[in-house]
Amino acid sequence: MAAAAEALVTPGRPMLVASDIHRHFEGLHAVDGVSIDVPSGQITGLIGPNGAGKSTLLAVLAGTLPASSGTIVFDGEDITSSPAYRRARRGLVRTFQLPSEFARLTVLENLLVAAPKHRGDSLFGALMGKGYWIDDERRLVHQARALLDRFGMSAQESDYAGTMSGGQKRLIEIMRALMLQPRLLLLDEPMSGVHPKIVLEIQHYLQDLRAEGLTILMVEHELHMVERLCDSVVVMAQGKVIGSGTMATLRRQREIVDAYLVG
Amino acid sequence: MNTYYATNLLVYAGVDIIACLALNMQFGVSGIVNFSFIVFQAVGAYTAAVLSLPPDSANGGFQIYFGGYQLPFPIPWIGGAAAGGLLSIPVGLVVLRRLRSDYQAIALLVLSIITNAVITNARPLLNGAAGLALVPPPFSDQIDPNTETYQFLYVGLTAICVVIVFVLVNRIVESPYGRTLRAMRERELAAMAIGKNPVQLKMTVFIVGGVIAGLSGAILVGFIQLWAPSVWLYPETIILFAAVIVGGRGNNIGAILGALLVPVGFEEVTRFIPTTIGPPGLIPALQWVAIGLLIIGFLWFRPEGVRPEPRHVFEGAAVREETG
Repeated sequence: MAAAAEALVTPGRPMLVASDIHRHFEGLHAVDGVSIDVPSGQITGLIGPNGAGKSTLLAVLAGTLPASSGTIVFDGEDITSSPAYRRARRGLVRTFQLPSEFARLTVLENLLVAAPKHRGDSLFGALMGKGYWIDDERRLVHQARALLDRFGMSAQESDYAGTMSGGQKRLIEIMRALMLQPRLLLLDEPMSGVHPKIVLEIQHYLQDLRAEGLTILMVEHELHMVERLCDSVVVMAQGKVIGSGTMATLRRQREIVDAYLVG
Repeated sequence: MNTYYATNLLVYAGVDIIACLALNMQFGVSGIVNFSFIVFQAVGAYTAAVLSLPPDSANGGFQIYFGGYQLPFPIPWIGGAAAGGLLSIPVGLVVLRRLRSDYQAIALLVLSIITNAVITNARPLLNGAAGLALVPPPFSDQIDPNTETYQFLYVGLTAICVVIVFVLVNRIVESPYGRTLRAMRERELAAMAIGKNPVQLKMTVFIVGGVIAGLSGAILVGFIQLWAPSVWLYPETIILFAAVIVGGRGNNIGAILGALLVPVGFEEVTRFIPTTIGPPGLIPALQWVAIGLLIIGFLWFRPEGVRPEPRHVFEGAAVREETG
C-alpha cells in the first residue's frame, strides 16, 4: 500500500489535506481514520463499494457533517471547525448525490443565488433598493448566462429548476457551484442517473475545468469514467482508505481488486 | 355612524395588511412557520400601551400594570416596533438555531399559548385577563378622538405605515437577498453548501418580522384603546396564515389581498349572519370552522393562492416559441 501512495503524483502543494478523519454515527464508524491529500490542479477520484463512507467523507470535508475527530487543512488553513457555509465562501464547494436544485427558483436564479459578494445579497443592500445593487445583478446575470450557454441550457433559463430532468439538475448544480468560483470542487456522483449523452458532456466540462486549473475530488462508481477522467484515485472500503494511485497501479493490487474492482 | 364603521374597517385592514406582509416575508418567502406571530403583535401593543398610559394609580387605580410613562406620539409606536424586534432575538436564538423546521413550528405555537397563559394569570404585570383599557390614542391631548377628523387622521397614519412597510418588505423580497431567502426555503442544506448561513438569515427575517408585527400591534392598540389576552389568542395567528395562503405565499400583493379577503372580508361578511340561528355561540364557532375549511380548500385546490409567487424572468431571456 505504501508503494501505491508513493505512486501518487503531487505537483505543488496539495489543495486539501485531511488527517485521521473519523465520523461515527452512534456505533457505526462510517469514516474510520481516513487521511487523504487532494493534489491541486488535478481530478482525484474517490471510489469504493456502497457503504464505504465516500459520501460521508465528502460531507465531512465540505462541513455538511462535522467530523468526530481529525483535522482538515484547506489551502494552508485549518478549517476543521469552520461551518459549511464558511468553507463554501472560501472556495471549497460540494455538490450532492441526490438532486438539490432550488425547485421554485428559475434555472438562472439557481445560478445567481450562488454568486458571492453581491451587493444586494444582504438586508442592508436589499433595503437600499434596486439602484444600489442593479450593476452587480447585471454583471452576474451576464456571467450566469455565459455558463448556461457553455452547458447548453440557455433556453431553459426562465423555467423553474424543479421542472428540469435529472441530468439537467446535475448540470444546474455544477453550474451553481461554479458561480462561487471554487478552488476545490467536491462532486458526489455527478454522473449518476444521467443520460449517457449528458455524461459525456459532463466529462468534457470537467476536463475543461481541470485545464483551467480547478481542483476536483469526485466520488464516482463508473470505473471507465474514473479511468478516463481522474489523475489519481483513492479507494475506500468500510470507512478506511485501502489504496491510492492511478487506476493502472490499483488494478494490479490484489486486495483492492478483491474489495471492489471484481466484475 | 357610517364614518366610524368605515374608518374602523380601514384601520383594521391596514393593521392586517402590515401583519400579513411581515408573515409573508417570514413564512411565504423564507419558510419560517411562525405560529407565534400574534405574540409579537401583542408585545408591540402592550409596549405602546404602557408607554402612552399614565401610571396605574390614575383613574382610581382600577387596573395595574408596570410602566405608565405617558410618552407622546410617535414614541409608543416606535417602542412597540422595537419591542417586537427585541423579543424576536431570544425567541429566535432558542427556536431557530437547532430545531428542524416542523419542530420550530410546534415550539412557536407552544410559546404563543404559554405567553398568553402567563399574561392572563400574572395580573400585576399587565392587568391579567381584564387587560389594559383607556389607552390614550396618539394626539389625544390635542384632538378629540371621538371626532370624524380624528378618525380620518388615524386612517392616514395607518396608511403611511402600510406604505412604508410595503416598500421596505417589497425591497427585501424582490432583491437578491430575497432570492437567497427563497433558496433557503427550498433547500436549506444546499443553501449552506453555496455559502449561505441559514441561522443568520432566519434570525434576520425573524427580527425584521418582529419589528413589523410590533408596529402593527401599536397601531391597533392606539385605535381600539384596549388590549387584553383574549384578542391575541393563538388562533389569531392561524387567521393570518389563512390570509397569506389564500392570497399567495411569497407574493406581497397576494399578502395584501389575503389580508383584505380573510381577516377583513371574511370576518366582516360572517358578522352579518344572524346570531339567533342555533344555540348561542354557534355562529362564532362556525366562523372558525370556515377559516379551517378555507385553508384546507386552498391547500387542496389552489395551493399557490390567488396571486402566486411571481416567476422571475430576466431582461433579455431567450424567448422560446410554444410548441403545440
